[in-house]
Amino acid sequence: MTSPTINRTDLINLVITSLRDVLEQSGRPLPATIEENTLLFGKGALLDSLALVTIVVDLEQRLEEEHGLTLTLADDRAMSQRNSPFRSVGALVDYLEQLIHEEQSRD
Amino acid sequence: MEQWANHPAIVWHDHPYTYHDLLARMQAWKATLNEHDIGPGQVVTIEGDYSPNAVSLLLTLIERSTIVVPLTRSVAAQREEFLTIAEVQVVVSFDDDDRWHIERRPVPVTNPLTRQLIERGHPGLVLFSSGSTGKSKAALHDFLPLLEKFQVPRHRRVTLTFLLLDHIGGINTLFYTLANGGTVVAVQSRDPDVVCRTIEMHRVQTLPTSPTFLNLLLISEAYRRYDLSSLELITYGTEVMPESTLHRIHDIFPNVQLLQTYGLSELGILRSKSRDSNSLWFKVGGEGFETKIVDGVLWVRAKSAMLGYLNAPSPFDEEGWMNTQDVVEVDGDYIRILGRRSDIINVGGQKVYPAEVESVLLQMPNVKDVAVVGERNPITGQIVTARFNLFEPEDPNEFKRRVRAFCRERLAPYKIPVKITITEDEQHSARFKKMRKPW
Repeated sequence: MTSPTINRTDLINLVITSLRDVLEQSGRPLPATIEENTLLFGKGALLDSLALVTIVVDLEQRLEEEHGLTLTLADDRAMSQRNSPFRSVGALVDYLEQLIHEEQSRD
Repeated sequence: MEQWANHPAIVWHDHPYTYHDLLARMQAWKATLNEHDIGPGQVVTIEGDYSPNAVSLLLTLIERSTIVVPLTRSVAAQREEFLTIAEVQVVVSFDDDDRWHIERRPVPVTNPLTRQLIERGHPGLVLFSSGSTGKSKAALHDFLPLLEKFQVPRHRRVTLTFLLLDHIGGINTLFYTLANGGTVVAVQSRDPDVVCRTIEMHRVQTLPTSPTFLNLLLISEAYRRYDLSSLELITYGTEVMPESTLHRIHDIFPNVQLLQTYGLSELGILRSKSRDSNSLWFKVGGEGFETKIVDGVLWVRAKSAMLGYLNAPSPFDEEGWMNTQDVVEVDGDYIRILGRRSDIINVGGQKVYPAEVESVLLQMPNVKDVAVVGERNPITGQIVTARFNLFEPEDPNEFKRRVRAFCRERLAPYKIPVKITITEDEQHSARFKKMRKPW
């Protein structure tokens, strides 16, 4: 197993940057603070489905371009998780860590 | 053709060849075909372009009731496959100096459609679809109904041949022009500068082309470097014209009539009339063609329709109608093409037409070209993706911001590209048609 190329703090920052970009670019209001328990998708959350796919694709592209990681974030598996990986910033980061770990164990 | 004997019929490598010259070459071909025992019902490939020998051979082969399979270099990779599908028995290839070479292939004709045509004793034409999505299909035509419409005299014009002999549009331009005593001007490449230089040099009046080429013409600004005052008519077809491209062309050529054409290799070219030069609304139909719209999709029935595909099931229903797969909007007698049904992107149940999004994106600074396609996504079913060619390199994240900001004021949110990539590859085919391949 190779050493992780990206740690949890990096991942949180990546998700937050991406979230800010997408909110800004789609003209949605930015919350005062974004942290791990910020809700992403679902009741009272920041994103609608279009903004969510945009973040997902944006994250996939950034992980590939900036970290050489080819991951599929949105697939049937992600959609069928008991706890949606898209419910909050923290859940998404957890799911990213899990995918990266699996990817690296495969090598 | 004799009535125009001394008038140039074709210009090839910048040299004019008269109708008289073509007739003389046809005489010579008759002798050569006899010598090689090439007669009615044989399947013959012409591998070449609009050279005097190739064009006169095409005319002679039609007169002799053979089945002609024109091929060009742009399909070199599929040459063997195409020769096999069409059961080609003779290949006549032309080199850059218009010298020819005859190759025999010991193949029997077994395809029932081809045999049916041979029994009729009529000449035939086989055209391959470009196959940008999936396998190329071979359309077999009875050549006589295709040529029938050229009996009606129309304008005599100097016309550039943008599409090649292996395309229904190229065949249409050639026969329209020759039937009316005009001049067909061949170009050696479809580089905008070469095309513009040729227009200037031979005082070309008609330019049949594609939206992709017109977009390249705008980008290259080649129109500034040549005298294009001879141009009277630009026709465009084969794909959806981005509205922004049409308006810019109209601004640059205010006195040139802009006409949208419509045709399919399965049906021939319909007659069409644009509402005006700045409009994407147009009427299609004309003698020998009937049209109807079913669930927003255009269907056509044509006298000049092909007999069928040599390598695929018939696309015609029992009454001879063909679903063109082109989704249209209707306003009285006029229609506007929105896109191929298969190109439509479905984002969470809402339809997105790639051409509309491309038309907006093409107006962005530093954007040279863009192809919009759908990609599967489990959240919204499909997402809109856009692949760009840029003039100057840009930081991808910065560029994404710019694209989304630009789109926000101009497109509904579900039409805004979710995935944005930048490529160095050209995004059009050898026939100057946009490729919307998934990546």
